[in-house]
Amino acid sequence: MVKVNAIALVSPLNHPIIVRSFSLSDHLKYNYVAHTSLDVIEERIALGPKFMDCYLGHLYSLEDVAVYGYVTPTRIKIILALELADAVVRDADVVAIFKAVHTAYHESMSNPFLRLNTMVDFTTDPSSLLNMQTKEWKGLEQRIDNIGRAIGSLPPEPTS
Amino acid sequence: MSRLPTHNPSSTSLPSAAQTLTDPEPKQVDAAVLDYLLIELTNTLKHSAAVANKRLKEREAELIKAGLLAPPLPRKDHPGVRDSMNSTTSSTSNRNNNAKPLDETEEAVRVRLENIGMAVGGNLAERLSRSRSTRFADPLDTVKFLCKDVWSAIWDKPVDNLRTNHRGIYVLQDNSFKPLLRISSSQGSQEALRRSRLYLAYPTGLIKGALQRLGLLGVVLPETTTLPQCTFQVKQPKASS
Repeated sequence: MVKVNAIALVSPLNHPIIVRSFSLSDHLKYNYVAHTSLDVIEERIALGPKFMDCYLGHLYSLEDVAVYGYVTPTRIKIILALELADAVVRDADVVAIFKAVHTAYHESMSNPFLRLNTMVDFTTDPSSLLNMQTKEWKGLEQRIDNIGRAIGSLPPEPTS
Repeated sequence: MSRLPTHNPSSTSLPSAAQTLTDPEPKQVDAAVLDYLLIELTNTLKHSAAVANKRLKEREAELIKAGLLAPPLPRKDHPGVRDSMNSTTSSTSNRNNNAKPLDETEEAVRVRLENIGMAVGGNLAERLSRSRSTRFADPLDTVKFLCKDVWSAIWDKPVDNLRTNHRGIYVLQDNSFKPLLRISSSQGSQEALRRSRLYLAYPTGLIKGALQRLGLLGVVLPETTTLPQCTFQVKQPKASS
């Protein structure tokens, strides 16, 4: 089974929405990983009209992680850092994880209270509402943690 | 809220909990509920906009009395000027009714409805794009997605006619637009036409929001000449490149 180290979401304007790492150390490293992935994603997107798939596949590998990318039709970029392992990683599994992350993002964006105190107009980037700097809205973080738990990359929630 | 696990026969080896997260069971709502909600929404927002407007006017009056704000110029000239322009430029009474600008409170309601529509439209586009596995190749592709998938999802039928000049203007025509199907007025079809403009604000917002989420910024202009037919004109700003 795939072991995911980190999940990152980037807005259409290349602003980070959330970078969530499941490993116990090195949170900063995955910010860096997400950043480099953006360049590779742009390359892949620029390849042309014959490569219009959402799933970009394996982007590149670092010392201990393999990075996979996905761009939704709404131009949200999802980056997955998988632990490098000898076992074959099935595309279908990875696509399923990407779709789950997209679902989590969509559900968090559908929160009507996100716009309560902000004047949202035509030109604002909608995903900036979920900006994790404010730390008020934890829904997205919790949903991504749920995904992590469901695929076994995060230990199950302690029942308190 | 707990979700029932779906039994998707798929080729992944992920545990079923992950599969549930990937493809949650769709929640279902009676379609008529949305229609009723929109009717009541428009009425409620009329009242709310009137109250907000009144409050604003009172504050303005206070400021004017305190000498902090200059009194507004008299507005009586404007409607007269516009009316004469209308009667000389058009021969049918149709255009006269539609060309008259909405008054202040109606405009406020229209803006509120449009903003609600934009939020809903954006989220709807996100939801529907989940089932796609390819990105959009160009703006035309995006508009086609809007005309087929989004339209069918909200109003149970695709758009009847799509025209474009390939330079950023798209005209979407629907010959029996669902929100306008049941509008009728005891004062005749002209009155119904005039009143229906407000009910087009929410669909306009939906389209605008969906397009914005999918990457197309532009202005959306609704137009009706005979109920229930209606056209939406999508104008993209000229690219600066």
